[in-house]
Amino acid sequence: MLALAIEARGLCKTYRGWFRSTGHEALVDLDLAIASGAAFGLIGPNGAGKTTFIKALLGVLRPTRGLVRVLGQSPDDPATRARIGYLPERLHLPASFTPLRFLEGVARLKGLSDISHEARHALTRVGLAGDASRRIGGFSKGMRQRLGLAAALLGKPLLLILDEPTDGVDPMGRVEIRTILAEERARGATLFLNSHLLSETERICDRIGILAGGRLVREGPLEALSGSDTRHRLRFAPGSDPEALRAAGLTPTPDPDVFLADTPDPLTLNTLLDRARATGALLVELRPDLRDLEQVLTDALTPPPSSRRSP
Amino acid sequence: MKTFTIAADLLREAASRRWFLALGLAITLILLVLGLALRIEVVDGALAASRLFGRTLHNPIRAADVALRPLFRAASYLIFYGGLLFGAVACADFGPSLLAPGRIEHVLSLPVRRFELILGTFLGVLVLSLLGALYGSTGLVVLFGVKTGVFTARPIVSALLASATFSALYGAMLAVSIVARSAALSAATGLALLGLGVLAGYRERVATFLEAGLSRAAFETFTLVLPRISTLADAASDIAASTPIDSGALLANLAGVCIYGLAALALGIHFFEHRDF
Repeated sequence: MLALAIEARGLCKTYRGWFRSTGHEALVDLDLAIASGAAFGLIGPNGAGKTTFIKALLGVLRPTRGLVRVLGQSPDDPATRARIGYLPERLHLPASFTPLRFLEGVARLKGLSDISHEARHALTRVGLAGDASRRIGGFSKGMRQRLGLAAALLGKPLLLILDEPTDGVDPMGRVEIRTILAEERARGATLFLNSHLLSETERICDRIGILAGGRLVREGPLEALSGSDTRHRLRFAPGSDPEALRAAGLTPTPDPDVFLADTPDPLTLNTLLDRARATGALLVELRPDLRDLEQVLTDALTPPPSSRRSP
Repeated sequence: MKTFTIAADLLREAASRRWFLALGLAITLILLVLGLALRIEVVDGALAASRLFGRTLHNPIRAADVALRPLFRAASYLIFYGGLLFGAVACADFGPSLLAPGRIEHVLSLPVRRFELILGTFLGVLVLSLLGALYGSTGLVVLFGVKTGVFTARPIVSALLASATFSALYGAMLAVSIVARSAALSAATGLALLGLGVLAGYRERVATFLEAGLSRAAFETFTLVLPRISTLADAASDIAASTPIDSGALLANLAGVCIYGLAALALGIHFFEHRDF
């Protein structure tokens, strides 16, 4: 059995005002298990409860009900948090400090031994070594984000929880951050990513969870969520007869060379392919029809037609 | 124990804040101006003549240590009330800035216990006030010691008393910051407590102005739990001016102030431990 990096069972969080008997349910009976070494992306609309869940993972807020364990321990234990690297969505940085001084402060609180070396190494990794003696106040948003990532990387954490890590970072910087995250994963760290940039999530994560209204509405491997067992995408060489292919049972797409095949099993798919090739069309590509994460998210958040109210 | 690390971080942060740079500069400037502009002539241990900015100050000839007493008394009041006023305004932002969104989540995600964070902030501010008080009072003692040959640690002890009193004020300010996360409210708490503490020091005298009965009883009950700030300020000035004091009463007042500060701090920690961010 794989060790779990994150485990949440029946997690509920209700925000109550001082003078209100009812409150806002930010998390509702959330169950989630993420294995060590995975790269997990949590996506969902604004107000879905993503940040609340992250805060519960870090012990920054206490759940109303349920259990949360990080690296097998309670997040309230400082020893557990010592093994976590966290990048908040809007990290508040002391403007008058240099990045080196800021990182040394974080390293001291993390209880690291060679704080100066650790801080310089982290700065080099995120590409800020040349700005080590500049004041943070003069940093751009992207530089601040890199510095936040450097702080999260200090002490070789076993779990990296990153809230919008590439927000405000230029395209080249995003590539660098992806490389760093891949290195961290190769080292054995677990990644937990919360990002509105779905393409980033798609590129970095192999497992996705969709949170809506405090509930986990979808969760699983990326291929399973975005792929379909019954729909395939077929590309034919230019010059095929679209009408004949449609008559054979294929569905056309905006691209004249690409058709979709909806078949319940491989046998039916092959029968359909035989019919299509019999029209003289030459098949050059066949793959499962993968939807992008945006479509997956839209589908997950769209209520099924039967549940929609009629006007 | 991460408390000291947090306190040290607060001192580093304070070193880059304009308020504290200005305080350090102002103290240095006052000491420099006094050192350069004040001329004191001491003959056989007696203050023979003194000149400020070249103008002769007409003082009767008397022992230098006696002549310095009113000066140290005035300096003690200035350090005491000036320090408390400055501290209430300049330190009001430390608590709220610690709790700022984007900072508190990050700090709490580090292997730091919640109480260590608050205790560290409190200790850091306490050390800051001690450093300010010590710098000003020691500078004054050295300055007049060099000029008159009279070296006394009494003004320093008096300044330390001001720092101890500030701890009560800051405990309450920090507790309010945790509940409300507002620098303005924190400063207002400090200033209000300072004013009420001055009133509490004269509570017996003020009570006589109120009609005996419910109003006087209410006033006495209300001021009973307040730190006796003016009493401590008077005691500090007496110490600086080498006037005999009732040490038992001073210790009782000092203990009261410390208990008040610690109780406020404990309340703040309690709120902080149970708060979501």
